Amino acid sequence: MSSTKITIHDLPKENLFTGGHTACPGCGAAILVRNAMKVFGKNTVIYTPANCLLVFGGTYPNISWKVPYHHVAFENTAVCSAGIKRALKASGKDDALVVGFAGDGGTADIGMQALSGAAERNEDILYIMYDNEAYMNTGIQRSGSTPYGAWTTTTPAGKVIKGKERFKKDVPQIMIAHNVPYVATASIAYPTDLLTKLEKAKNMKGFRYLQVYSTCPTGWRVPPEKTVEVAKKAVETGMWTLYEYENGKMTINVKPKLDENGNLAVPVRDYLKMQGRFRHMTDAQIETLQKWVNEKWKRDLALEKALQ
Amino acid sequence: MYEVRFHGRGGQGAVMAAQALADAAFIEGNYAVAFPFFGAERRGAPVLAFARVDKGKIYEKTQVYEPDYVVVLDDKLPLMVDVTKGLKDTGMAIINTSLKPEEVELGRAVKTATVDATGVALEVLGTPITNSAILGAFAKATGVVSIESIKKGIMDIFGARIGERLAEKNARAAEVAYERTSVGICKGTLIYPEEKKWLPTAQEFPTGGALGLEVKTDAGLIGLGSFVENKTGSWRTFMPVADNSKCVNCKLCWFYCPEGAIEMLMNLPESEIPAGTGTDPKGNPKGIKIDYDYCKGCGICANECPTKAITMER
Repeated sequence: MSSTKITIHDLPKENLFTGGHTACPGCGAAILVRNAMKVFGKNTVIYTPANCLLVFGGTYPNISWKVPYHHVAFENTAVCSAGIKRALKASGKDDALVVGFAGDGGTADIGMQALSGAAERNEDILYIMYDNEAYMNTGIQRSGSTPYGAWTTTTPAGKVIKGKERFKKDVPQIMIAHNVPYVATASIAYPTDLLTKLEKAKNMKGFRYLQVYSTCPTGWRVPPEKTVEVAKKAVETGMWTLYEYENGKMTINVKPKLDENGNLAVPVRDYLKMQGRFRHMTDAQIETLQKWVNEKWKRDLALEKALQ
Repeated sequence: MYEVRFHGRGGQGAVMAAQALADAAFIEGNYAVAFPFFGAERRGAPVLAFARVDKGKIYEKTQVYEPDYVVVLDDKLPLMVDVTKGLKDTGMAIINTSLKPEEVELGRAVKTATVDATGVALEVLGTPITNSAILGAFAKATGVVSIESIKKGIMDIFGARIGERLAEKNARAAEVAYERTSVGICKGTLIYPEEKKWLPTAQEFPTGGALGLEVKTDAGLIGLGSFVENKTGSWRTFMPVADNSKCVNCKLCWFYCPEGAIEMLMNLPESEIPAGTGTDPKGNPKGIKIDYDYCKGCGICANECPTKAITMER
């Protein structure tokens, strides 16, 4: 496994995703996309389905991207990216990187079958899910990636239910089950880890999947300046684990703080209380979520051990 | 009948303001409707909302094109949008600004009411959300609805969304703004550039064609990279100010800025580096330059700066 780390200081100056875009102030996805484009460079083709990024990155005829950029239907990011990659290869431009940028709705729910198909065929594309844990573009509806207990407009906090009743869908594990060359999780709050993974994914061949935790201040009811702080807290509490799966081997890259018994040291409550979307949660609900996080952490550790 | 058009930014609550006004008018025995302009608007982008009030039933379903009153929730909006467009000659503009009515510049000289709703909101609510305060100004300036009804309307509409305690604070904000509203005639000296449109027909746009990189047209840049002409700096309430002497060139703000509005001084040509700039241990000039044309004032840079070299100022 290569250990070349890419840090902030290795990034070029030029923005290939320009200012003037219309993302909400403090948008996590905008941070991700702008810096990812610095890693990818000019020889890149971008596909996005319906998502916030599509709207804030381009309103015809004005576009923020400075590389070829296509808007495709909600469900077929992966298959369209795969198609253009094959076309580029056939016309002797195999060196071009094709990236599909989709949100969690367009990946975990609506784009899943095309994604699964492309992964199974090991198409030579890089698929990035920016995970903001709900359908934010249409006004905060629950997705498969929304965590337990979170308020959304379709999982309201009221007398009958208090936020989402199901747990977050583990898409990276679904992708690992496809036996693809590279699957990684990252977060905007860990720049070196994120940039190293982007660089690695860029240079590999075959199907690569990256899921990047990207705060949505609007949908999570977080003040915009806390975008990075919240994302950091997600990793510290174990709500989000940073790992990569490369050619059959899994490595957890950032280990959260543990107590003397090997349990997660920072309670999930610390993460929840920063966000308005969890404000209504009862102690029992927080307990349930903490249990789920503990189990998830143990499972991730066991998987790391098993996949060596 | 009277019709009201609200100019706000996504997230400022123009829609809730329209609803609260309609609710207040309904409490006073009128028929009333309130509705937003439907579009793909993000938080911070200019948005519209409408309210229509009448003694009898209202059958109009259209947007309001010739309002009796325009309510402007953000003082920088009139620079971008002609808020007096279609406003009746007998109408009035209610504007959130710290200026006196006579100092306000709009596209036409019209009867104008002003109130520093942002100041009131920061004082009473602790956040610069001005939708409740501006309604207090509306009640005072127009007299078509009482401040008591406005407060009830706010309790109904805001209470259902954000809870009774916060709704009460918002009602209080309306009351404070009511007291601080002044009315006069504004200056009609603001000239708006003619709206330019770039609309290729289907015949002009080749099948399988694509917009190129930074294509120049009569309507300005189009195509890839052309969003730079959209200056989002006007969305800002608070602005980051950097003390470059404290900077350690860690580049975190440069990385985290969602807009790419921060540039490291070390990346700039020598001619653009201010005199007296210090250097880091590697000999690079230390510090940042913030491009206020694009900065939306999210505050991530100030929050993440390890040496607290960036502060947010009003």
